[in-house]
Amino acid sequence: MTHCESLQESIGRWLDGELPPAESEAMRGHVASCAECSATRQRLEKIQLTLGTMLTAEAARLEFAPFWREVQHRIAAKRPWHVELIEAVQSLFSVSRLAWAVPAAIMLVLGFLSLTKWPGGVETNNYASVESIDAHGRNVALLREDETKTTIIWLYQDPEGEDENAEETTKPGPAF
Amino acid sequence: MELSDWQLVEKCQAGDGTAFEELVSRYHQKVFMVILGLMRNREDALEVAQETFFRAFRKIKSFQGGSSFYTWIYRIAVNNAIDAQRKQKRNPLDFHETMDELFAARNEVAKDPFADVHDRQLRENMARAINELTPEHKAVIVLRTIEGMSYRDIGEILGCSEGTVMSRLHYARKKLQDKLKAFL
Repeated sequence: MTHCESLQESIGRWLDGELPPAESEAMRGHVASCAECSATRQRLEKIQLTLGTMLTAEAARLEFAPFWREVQHRIAAKRPWHVELIEAVQSLFSVSRLAWAVPAAIMLVLGFLSLTKWPGGVETNNYASVESIDAHGRNVALLREDETKTTIIWLYQDPEGEDENAEETTKPGPAF
Repeated sequence: MELSDWQLVEKCQAGDGTAFEELVSRYHQKVFMVILGLMRNREDALEVAQETFFRAFRKIKSFQGGSSFYTWIYRIAVNNAIDAQRKQKRNPLDFHETMDELFAARNEVAKDPFADVHDRQLRENMARAINELTPEHKAVIVLRTIEGMSYRDIGEILGCSEGTVMSRLHYARKKLQDKLKAFL
């Protein structure tokens, strides 16, 4: 991989204003003197501009009055009970909630197996645990089955933010 | 003096319907743009945009201002659009057909006919290339394009880290460059 190929991702971050100031300045200097990176910059800017123009032009055709009438109509209309029920059930089975369900199900199965295999309470080294490993929703589930010497380590991130119903955990008060 | 989004939200929570109308007025076009970028045709996008505001109305009492209103409404919009898109498998042609009709209707024709043809081809292929991205990759590129959102805000909307936003953006841009290289 050439030096310029390795910079491709950074050029995007630079155009997005997401590089630290010192790196941003270095990138500016490099792009100004490098034909390959300068061409990449132009391509990325053209993609951004074209897509932005397309979406803006379509949105400009959208009139507020009929849009608002339809929103009002939905607010006023009472939805059938089964639609409400389906929505409630769907929200229970969102991806973010199922992220917890998988290790929980494995733990239940292992727990059940250990109970049925050793009804007399024979001491084993089976182990199951779920721990949070940082403040960003990353978790680790550790499952160990003694007889077969099977160990499962499950690293996953709880995508709480994807759930529009999720409790907001950041500081209270307006952020805008 | 114009009320802030948060002040309007508080009025909504107190039962003021006109405050919600003002919020819809402020954001309906931007929300529609995000959804249109994710979906395959205008009519579906309109339907999902209206449903987004309906759902926002139903949940606004539980909104506590932990994030900005616009990230909250975009999060609902993106989730709705991705859900709807996964349920529907419609022909993607509608989007770029309407784009061409729009530009033709406005007489936005370049003076140079070769440039006009080139731009038209770029738009057509852009719509096709966007439609070929996964919903997650479409979402980052569209959210970044509209208002130039920061990676942090995009991550908040999509429920992922800034690093994930960065890598998805890089992948999406690389794909678009590959597919559009003849027109860029």
